[in-house]
Amino acid sequence: MISRVSTSTDRPWRALLPVAVVLGVMAFGLTSSGYVVTVIGFAAIYGIFCTGLNFFMGYTGQASFGQNAFAALGGYGTAILCGNHYWDPLAAFLVSMVFAGLVAYLVGLPTLKLRGHYLAMATFALGLITYEISIEWNGLTQGYMGISGIPPLGVWKFELANEKQMLVALTLLMLLGVWISVRLRDSRFGRALRAIAGSEPAARALGIDVARYKLAAFVIAALYASAAGSLFAHFVGFISPEVFGAAMVIQSFTMLFLGGIGTTWGPIVGAIMVLMLPEFLRGLKELQDVVYSMALIALLIFAPKGLAGLGSLFARRPKAPVPTPSGAPARAIAK
Amino acid sequence: MALLSVNDLTMRFGGLVANDRIGFDVEEGAIFAVIGPNGAGKTTLFNAISGALTPTSGEVRFDGQIITGRPQHAVAGAGLVRTYQLVQLFADLSVRDNVAVGFHRVSRGGVFAALFRPGWARAQEAHVAEKTRDLLEFVGLSGVADMPAGKLPYGQQRLLEVARALAAEPRLLLLDEPAAGLNTQETAALADVIERINGRGVTVLLVEHDMSLVMKVARRIVVIDFGRKIAEGSPAEIKVHPDVLAAYLGGTEAVADDGAEPAHA
Amino acid sequence: MPDAVQFIQSLVNGVGVGLIYGLVGIGFCVIYNASGIVNFAQGVFVMLGGMACEVLLRKFHLPLPIAFLIAVPFVALVGLLMEVLVVRPMWNRGSPLFAIILATLATQIMIERITILTVDEQPHTFQEFTLGGPLKIGAIAIPYQLFWIVGCGALMVGLLWLFFTRTRAGRALRACSQNREAAALLGIPVGAMLLLSFALSAALGAVAGILVTPMQAIAFNSGTPFGVSGFIAAIIGGFGNAAGALAGGILLGVLQAVAIVLLGAGFKNVAALTALLFVLFLFPSGLFAGLKPKAH
Repeated sequence: MISRVSTSTDRPWRALLPVAVVLGVMAFGLTSSGYVVTVIGFAAIYGIFCTGLNFFMGYTGQASFGQNAFAALGGYGTAILCGNHYWDPLAAFLVSMVFAGLVAYLVGLPTLKLRGHYLAMATFALGLITYEISIEWNGLTQGYMGISGIPPLGVWKFELANEKQMLVALTLLMLLGVWISVRLRDSRFGRALRAIAGSEPAARALGIDVARYKLAAFVIAALYASAAGSLFAHFVGFISPEVFGAAMVIQSFTMLFLGGIGTTWGPIVGAIMVLMLPEFLRGLKELQDVVYSMALIALLIFAPKGLAGLGSLFARRPKAPVPTPSGAPARAIAK
Repeated sequence: MALLSVNDLTMRFGGLVANDRIGFDVEEGAIFAVIGPNGAGKTTLFNAISGALTPTSGEVRFDGQIITGRPQHAVAGAGLVRTYQLVQLFADLSVRDNVAVGFHRVSRGGVFAALFRPGWARAQEAHVAEKTRDLLEFVGLSGVADMPAGKLPYGQQRLLEVARALAAEPRLLLLDEPAAGLNTQETAALADVIERINGRGVTVLLVEHDMSLVMKVARRIVVIDFGRKIAEGSPAEIKVHPDVLAAYLGGTEAVADDGAEPAHA
Repeated sequence: MPDAVQFIQSLVNGVGVGLIYGLVGIGFCVIYNASGIVNFAQGVFVMLGGMACEVLLRKFHLPLPIAFLIAVPFVALVGLLMEVLVVRPMWNRGSPLFAIILATLATQIMIERITILTVDEQPHTFQEFTLGGPLKIGAIAIPYQLFWIVGCGALMVGLLWLFFTRTRAGRALRACSQNREAAALLGIPVGAMLLLSFALSAALGAVAGILVTPMQAIAFNSGTPFGVSGFIAAIIGGFGNAAGALAGGILLGVLQAVAIVLLGAGFKNVAALTALLFVLFLFPSGLFAGLKPKAH
């Protein structure tokens, strides 16, 4: 259903194009000021989130509608530890990630046994539960009010003084996230995940413990989500339940489908496009979420492989070895 | 000791007895075939052996170990690797990557190895790449290594599935109706591949409908009908076995020695 | 510890809201039976029904029956549009299941945001259908609206039963749920049935929303809890079985009411969602197994 992993060796310029776009946008951010910097910072954060989502959905072929839950864990973890308890940002970042990974592991064990609608509803419920708890557990989360005054990103005494330093840090972290995803994908581990996406029975027949690998992909996606949540908290300095609500699910899926699910740079390119577009269409600000939803529906109907999929329409086809007419599994019976 | 031994295997679905106390031994190095008319219970037997189904009673021993009731990936891990009647490829992956996945069982390394690529992991990847090339050569798919597997014609998909299974270095290769959907030439090519696989020291068990293939490659044959084993012997013995003739003639099929196809009725 | 009166009172409240969940659950079943799709935007119909009725009452000063008669067809129309514009194109293209689910979810978000833009973000409510009350039995108070919910709920189920057993369209819809391919071969317009199921299901949700709004104020985002609760009701009822969904809804409503007494009102949604997860974990593939969803 989803075309994965174009081989990056045969046409290097095609693989480099998205890299150039991404780096170009980040460089543009550094020469600009104010709101543009903020938007590009968001793109980097969402790019990290979507790279994790892509791991679970694009490479492993599974569906989760509740990754916002893990972003909320990261965001609130950082907000509470740094904002209220004055922890070192890096320590809070890592502890939140470990916690989110642990929750993903424990929740994933029973959840990933489900299929179809049940899996979709159960993962969706995870996001809703986290959302409800973040509203209702006033003592910890300050409910609808949210938590403000979260310090900027930093390590020990060194704090990132301004938005541009922050943007550089976010870009580097995003690139690190992408690099890790590529390393993981192009390995024995990643091959097993992509095999599961292709055919679970066949993966099983080759000795792949399908349940274990799915769980691993789920946990990895949760780690990315938690990291993105923590970075959001530092970047904005404020979080509330709405930040990690159901709209986040729709927004991140729009990014993933726009950029191209199952591709390396698709999640990043999608995040940049989705976040930049409203800036160019200021009049639509009010309608932002309506436009995202409509765009997502349109993409799901007309271009389920995203813009990367549309691109392959124009790409030259690889030289095909004269396929016999019985290309389809025609049940030919010898005469 | 036999490599695979099936003892008193019974598989019941509600009132239906699909396999009734079936038993046979597959010796190491054999090409062994299970045949029978449509609906005789071949596929059920196959699934029970490969771990996709847990038999109602009886046991399957592989290399002396009882494997009944183990999850399928564990059965595969023990060295008993199967293919599917309807080809199950990783359609979006390249032909090359399909085979590379096959090495899962005989390689190691998880997230840590993927991320930090220690020396042994890089050596292993190089080894996998090299062996993948060899296997594609072996089944004659080198020319299409970069194609998405789903784009291959059906006959080549079948060969790819076999190559992928071979990558797992099985001690016993289970082939579920490998000739299904293939034309005469493709079947002949497949027979050749099966014999060469066996030549590499891999024991082969095939469950098959296509007589031409079975009579050509199998050294020993078990015939089942209505869930029961009715005969076992060499191809020459099976061809003249009265119960087998009755089962096939009583149905719509005929045992023939010249590669003629049984009618799919 | 809460006393006996509190418990009985919570049971009464639970039955009321549980019937609403049951109606939403039936809505899930109607679409699922016709199409094999679980419409994740089911709850939004409840919100739209309540909201549309409230706007008609407040802005246009219409009498309640008229507002009801306009609001329900309006929501049914939204259901039709959703089928034509979102579900059908994906259905025709053979989109994977999760893509269709995602699209229905996106539709829900879109409708919620449009509601914010056209109405506002505030919770809204209107008077009970019959003023006065509640009816006091000892220390236990039964709001009059509860009788409306029970009465209308029973009426809806009765009408549905008549529809499915006594009309051609209803019987055709049931045939689709048995076997879509066979139904198509018999000349039943399966596409039209899908359309009908969305309209019917949306109308059911709208009625539920109008019934519940006097008891629980409705805001733009009130749909999701109702949707999730309706889904749980449908699961408990065995998906596809209207009476079962109704019973499942009541069970869930009562459980939730008890949870409110024990844990406080804030965590009632958390309790319901956790219940959902446990139901799912306990029946990992079970309850759908009897029916055959379209394999993607």
